[in-house]
Amino acid sequence: MGSTEDDIDSKEAWVFYKDREYWADVTPIPQDDGPNAVVKIAYTDAFTDVYDYFRAVMASGELSERALELTGDALHMNAANYTVWQYRRKVLKHLGSNLEQELAFCREMIEMNPKNYQVWHHRRVIVGWLGDAGKELRLTEMIFNQDAKNYHAWEHRQWVLRTFNRLFDGELDYVDRLLDEDARNNSAWNQRHFAITQTTGFTPEVIEREVEYTKNAINKIVGNESPWSYLRGVVQHCDGGLNSVGDLEKWCQDMYEAGQRSPHLLTFMIDLMEDKLERDPSVRPQLLKRTLKMCESLATEHDKIRHEYWRYIERNLNHRFSA
Amino acid sequence: MSGAEDYQFLRTRHIKFLQRCLRVLPYSAVTFDTSRMTVLFFALSGLDLLDGLKEVEKTEMQHIINWIYSLQILPGDDKDQLANAGFRGGTSLASCRGHADSVSSISSFDCGHITMTYTALASLIILGDDLSRVDRKAVLAHVASLQCRDGSFFSTRGGSENDMRFMYCAATICYILQDFSAININTAVQYIINSMSYEGAMGQGIYLESHGGSSYCAIATLHLMGKLSSALSNIQKQRLVRWLVSRQDSGGLQGRPNKPPDTCYTFWIGASLKLLGGLDFLNLEALRQFVLSTQDPITGGLAKYPDSHPDGLHTYLGISGLALLGRDCLKPVDPALNISERALKHLHSLHKSSTQNSKSTKC
Repeated sequence: MGSTEDDIDSKEAWVFYKDREYWADVTPIPQDDGPNAVVKIAYTDAFTDVYDYFRAVMASGELSERALELTGDALHMNAANYTVWQYRRKVLKHLGSNLEQELAFCREMIEMNPKNYQVWHHRRVIVGWLGDAGKELRLTEMIFNQDAKNYHAWEHRQWVLRTFNRLFDGELDYVDRLLDEDARNNSAWNQRHFAITQTTGFTPEVIEREVEYTKNAINKIVGNESPWSYLRGVVQHCDGGLNSVGDLEKWCQDMYEAGQRSPHLLTFMIDLMEDKLERDPSVRPQLLKRTLKMCESLATEHDKIRHEYWRYIERNLNHRFSA
Repeated sequence: MSGAEDYQFLRTRHIKFLQRCLRVLPYSAVTFDTSRMTVLFFALSGLDLLDGLKEVEKTEMQHIINWIYSLQILPGDDKDQLANAGFRGGTSLASCRGHADSVSSISSFDCGHITMTYTALASLIILGDDLSRVDRKAVLAHVASLQCRDGSFFSTRGGSENDMRFMYCAATICYILQDFSAININTAVQYIINSMSYEGAMGQGIYLESHGGSSYCAIATLHLMGKLSSALSNIQKQRLVRWLVSRQDSGGLQGRPNKPPDTCYTFWIGASLKLLGGLDFLNLEALRQFVLSTQDPITGGLAKYPDSHPDGLHTYLGISGLALLGRDCLKPVDPALNISERALKHLHSLHKSSTQNSKSTKC
């Protein structure tokens, strides 16, 4: 927030509230931190001045245009002060302010503080008051241009889509575009799952389409965890388990035989084998041996960082499926 | 991790860093103005784990205790005000000190915040206070008033987002005060289950991406409510552990797949695994080396990433993460409340004596 202070300092016309004539009728209330204050903050004079007047306005309960302006200055200095936001909403309501203008203010605040909870909450409230989310998808897309994994923006987008659900048209196309740009964008994969859940649902046709889509993405970058995880998520929707759709076993086996040893591939193969072990006791002796060997190779060669984990999985499978 | 660099843990420098946090923060930390209580907690609990609290003088400890209590909102006999109770995070809106101990409010907008209430209570326990000045009834009314119909929690009255973070805070408060009757455990558990994404871990809410911080809040909440073993099936637990151990990339832990490792997840992911019995599945030495690489060798403190500026949150979560691993002569930390085992023991002794007291009053 240091830059905010610089901004204010650099504005030549910045005048302290205590020197503003139209505030002369208000007696500022200084902050009282008591005799034993700890974790003090080295406020600047401009900050202290603004908040002295904000305290005075809150104490008197003044709901006015100048109070609205004051909350704007207070929030520019500290966008995380949730009480200032709450008070600002009270002023907006009381004055019947132009909410389109408020959206513009809020957008500016979001651009400056894209990872702040309070700005996004304010946005949601104002959009709710307006009953119009026409600008929201664009807003989140603007934020994703800078950081395509911004959790707040994804949360906002999902809220908008769920609340105003006619906006779902085009959502999968948008996710496609993001995944084209960066197939490692896990947030976009999650959005894909969300969008399908909220529209067509995972019907057998959709599952088949999604499995193909995901296999393609994995073929491009085998070492990308996100589509592997999505694949599991999609297949979870079939009753028949991992082996019942998309010929996944053969697809994995082909990659393996071509020399691919990504831990994500090997892990998925273990899951396929575990699923089989579970469903078909007759294959156990042979298959268990192969499964344990694959755990061993992950532990000692292909995923050494999780050595202890794979040893544990090995013990666990052995315990469950050996005669 | 190449292994070429072998970092040392800079205990003395971190003690100095946290002592500075305890006194005064630079203006760049002004976004913490309404959450100074959390910074206080990071500093105190960090010092506790570093065995550095003994370097804080007795009188200063008493001052801190008084400052914390001065931020408690005391509704007195006003029943309508009960729900506004709890602790504030700072004095931004407090004024007109009525008497030495408490700060009176200047507006009905001045009300408690659930995260500040959790960190205030935790800090008091760390300092050895007996919580006798806590208005239990008011604090619990405040927690109860913040639960939403879907089971999650708001942070404060007057409008805020609701998610998993505040549910964790609610659970810690109820645990500390040994009274879960204020909240609806069933809807809370349901909220947690609904927040499990197809990836196998929890997001901040339903449909959201699995996240290390949200998963910690969910798992620790279940633990504190005594529901960890019953609420999740074995398969769910196995998938959760898989997702958590997969967060170790080359050394450090990331909060989500395909994100860079970040110091704070040492605690969030580490403590989640500890509660699920899987901490040793990680490569602990590689993790430790990552955390040590984020130390600032000059000012002390730990940062989010190597070569970045240290701050109170990452310093504390890096240290409490290392404490989970049982390295660097740190005192053991409790993974659910995120305070030292020593402080937890003190809390349990308070619980015990209050049970005895209530028994003797019944007699």
